[in-house]
Amino acid sequence: MQPLLAIALLTWKAAFRFRLFLVMAVLLLLSVVGLPLLIKDDGTARGFTQILLTYTLGTISALLGLSTLWLSCGTLARDIEECQMQMVVVKPIARWQVWLGKWLGIVSLNAALLGLAGACVFALLQWRATHLPADQQAVLRNEVLVARGAARERNFDQDIEARTNESFRDWKEKHRASTKDEQTEVRKAIHEQVKATYQIVLPGYQSRPWEIQLGLARHYLHGQPLFLRVKFNTADENDTSTYQGAFRVGVAKKTRLSQFTVQSMAPNAFHEFQLPPDLFDEDGVLTITFANPNETALLFPLDEGVEVLYREGGFALNFIRGLGIILCWMALLATVGLASASFLSFPVAAFFALGLLTMVLSSGTMASAVEQGTVAGYNPEKGTSGSSVVDVVAIPTFRAALKVIHMAEDYSPIDSLSSGRSITWSQLAMAFVQIVLILSGGIGLFGIVIFTRREMATAQGIS
Amino acid sequence: MNSRLKKVLLGGAAALFLIGASLVQNSLNRDRDTLELTRVEPLENAPPVLAFTTVALGGFRGLISNILWIRAMELQDNDKFFEMAQLSDWITKLEPHYVQVWLVQAWNMAYNISVKFTDYSDRWRWVKRGIELLRDEGLRYNKNELLIYRELAWLFQHKMGANLDDANMLYKQEWANEMAGVFGKLSTPNLDELIHPVTEDQRARAALLRDKYKMDPAFMKEVNQRYGPLEWRLPEAHAIYWAALGLRIAADKPSKVKPDDLIVLRRVIYQDMQLSFQRGRLVANPFAKRFEFGPNLDIIPKTNDAYEQAAEEDKANHDHILRAYRNFLRDAVYFLYEYNRISDAQRWYRYMAQKFPTDHVIDGDLNSTVGNVSLDDYALSRIQEDISGTPRDRIEGVIEGLIANSYRSLAVDGEEEHAYGFKLLAKKVWESYSSRIGKSRESAISLRPFDDIDREIRSRVLDPKEGAAPEIRAILRSRLGLPSESAAAPGPAESAGTNAPAAGATPTAVPR
Repeated sequence: MQPLLAIALLTWKAAFRFRLFLVMAVLLLLSVVGLPLLIKDDGTARGFTQILLTYTLGTISALLGLSTLWLSCGTLARDIEECQMQMVVVKPIARWQVWLGKWLGIVSLNAALLGLAGACVFALLQWRATHLPADQQAVLRNEVLVARGAARERNFDQDIEARTNESFRDWKEKHRASTKDEQTEVRKAIHEQVKATYQIVLPGYQSRPWEIQLGLARHYLHGQPLFLRVKFNTADENDTSTYQGAFRVGVAKKTRLSQFTVQSMAPNAFHEFQLPPDLFDEDGVLTITFANPNETALLFPLDEGVEVLYREGGFALNFIRGLGIILCWMALLATVGLASASFLSFPVAAFFALGLLTMVLSSGTMASAVEQGTVAGYNPEKGTSGSSVVDVVAIPTFRAALKVIHMAEDYSPIDSLSSGRSITWSQLAMAFVQIVLILSGGIGLFGIVIFTRREMATAQGIS
Repeated sequence: MNSRLKKVLLGGAAALFLIGASLVQNSLNRDRDTLELTRVEPLENAPPVLAFTTVALGGFRGLISNILWIRAMELQDNDKFFEMAQLSDWITKLEPHYVQVWLVQAWNMAYNISVKFTDYSDRWRWVKRGIELLRDEGLRYNKNELLIYRELAWLFQHKMGANLDDANMLYKQEWANEMAGVFGKLSTPNLDELIHPVTEDQRARAALLRDKYKMDPAFMKEVNQRYGPLEWRLPEAHAIYWAALGLRIAADKPSKVKPDDLIVLRRVIYQDMQLSFQRGRLVANPFAKRFEFGPNLDIIPKTNDAYEQAAEEDKANHDHILRAYRNFLRDAVYFLYEYNRISDAQRWYRYMAQKFPTDHVIDGDLNSTVGNVSLDDYALSRIQEDISGTPRDRIEGVIEGLIANSYRSLAVDGEEEHAYGFKLLAKKVWESYSSRIGKSRESAISLRPFDDIDREIRSRVLDPKEGAAPEIRAILRSRLGLPSESAAAPGPAESAGTNAPAAGATPTAVPR
């Protein structure tokens, strides 16, 4: 352990020697202090806090991410190029310890900088919040500076699948001569029809109840307001009309009741309403009924149509967990940088690492190629794709790359923090396992093996 | 060739090329300007950061702007609007001379984003943001772009003025409140005191008008004289102002103006004058503690002129404009009749006969030319039409007129039955309209309660300052069972509009 810590300490010293720590600290502080003066918000305290969180944490992540890549490539590659590493490796220290020590040094440096910048952001937010009027403070405490959990209706996938299979069997019985393509299309259509029956609320005051199980949260939600978040669509994707809605929350003679009508709701948008406390029953089931007084059918998507948000914890711990996930990202970047520098010279390693980062950031392009089944030749009008030799290799590669990328990308703490969503300890643990242990571990192992087997005595990139 | 000579020669060649390039550059810039390929003139009034960005980034500005635009669209799809103001600011600043960018961003905020909010005050914030983007930023960098003036006028006319958005009444109310901070609560603002402010208060209000609302009181006065009197607390007056300003800018640079842009601006003006005529009078309702709208009959002559000018200039839409013009004249006659300005109604009825001698005035009756139908018969047929289907603002005008006629009749001996008939008819119109609108549009276009309208008209009629003549007020008070004015406590009646005929015009002056 001692050699490991010694190398980590040396990495810190190198960072201080290059004034990296100081420069980064100043840049981070500037971004925290300067951004609030520059950004334009939507005019509300809530909007300002959300944009402040997004931009400060985004800037901090970007600055730290780039400097981490740079430092991790530089600290190893330049040590080798300048022949300092040759002096180290002859000492009684294993190469994997050198590699890991550098990684530890960079990650701990990141942790210190992230902690410093995070503390500033947190203090700034709290300071601003205390200077707001009471009603604005309440909005902030309830909707942004909070960790809100979410509860939805139970998953209907199995029911939908079962009903689809049943209807499809009947259809197949009647159409024995149908082709494979026809069957695929018909099954898809039946699936959508069945799914629609779970989502649609017909016009003319037809209603649809949602029973939402609050789980263990019911034990601490007594006396606390809940927030109902709804989103619906209409048949027209570009509908600019607005619709009325009549909500009833609770069950007559069983729980307290709350009823309200909303005059003007736009489709394809989230609408949030505060509900009075204690509307759920003894089993923690909150029943929400929506009646549709409009002349158009409204469709509530199963995944995000109706959601209940509730206070799960405070902002401070949520914020710390969010920073924890950002640190996991930094650890991954440090691993990528060190692994690149294990077998490449400094400029090439930096280029390679940045190239990888660009690929990750453009994963949307890969995702659409995988979805369309081709890298070229997709016909959006017919929904068909042409076949290409490149696709044979590119699509499976993209698919595999996306799986790896999603392991890191699925965690977006900045988004959760700015929207007041809870980042749970289990999410943080999962992020640590997936990003640090599995991804960083795999890449790090590769880097360590290469570095261990690398011949240090040869001329190192000197022309 | 030795190294020193080589350096001197290369340096000389570089200098020659630079001089040549600078000469060619001038010619290229002239061509760019003549052919309208790209902008040549530097960005004016830009803050240093923006001036630096536009020069330093060069062609990459478009690329960054595109990336920001994609992010904005993604966020909008996910209903995350808190960044939209910032992104719009960056996008427009990166392409400050690209007019469509300003138009789309402003439209997006005022129309697409605003309706996503359930709370009407949230919607109002975004509508205002759209207006501010064009007025405060777009025009700052593109003061000669007519399309921005047109779009700004459209936001006032359509987004705030029309009733397509359920929150339109709040927009109008909020705007009226803001304007009351500049003009006070007078229906006709004293623009001279804002042009030449003397007191501290006048100076502060003039500064507010110029700095915040970017309006010039001297030009407002000009607009008021040309198209008014306008009610500056209503959005239509502002739509006219910005369209008129666009026209003035166009007049300064006639060679750079497309005829279509001028036509569009003039269209905004006559359409808004028509709207101002229909509901361009703001009346404080002391009972409901809010503003209500009434017709502004004083701008009929100028609206008439605007229509005639538009029909003359816009050859492509000549027939459409004439049809709209004829409808305006029919409304004008009818409204004047309703407000008991009978002689004015007669005059405009004759004018309509001159302009459209062969057109029928009663729907469904092809023989009903102006020459064949009396003014009274025409007015009665219009009441029938109004009951069967018209927009909210006109209906409310009809009801107000009928109630006013009812009080006028009540004040006249032997006309009590007629008064009762008018009131009954007004109630029928109110009931017919209320039953016709669906539940879903109730909040947007419903009428205020009939009793509120009745109370307001009665208070106007009985207003000692601007109401009916004293003897008529006395008769009415007696017939309505009210105490005499000297005995009555000061009522809540406030200043009314100016649609009454001149005092003493007729012995049975209309009680308003």
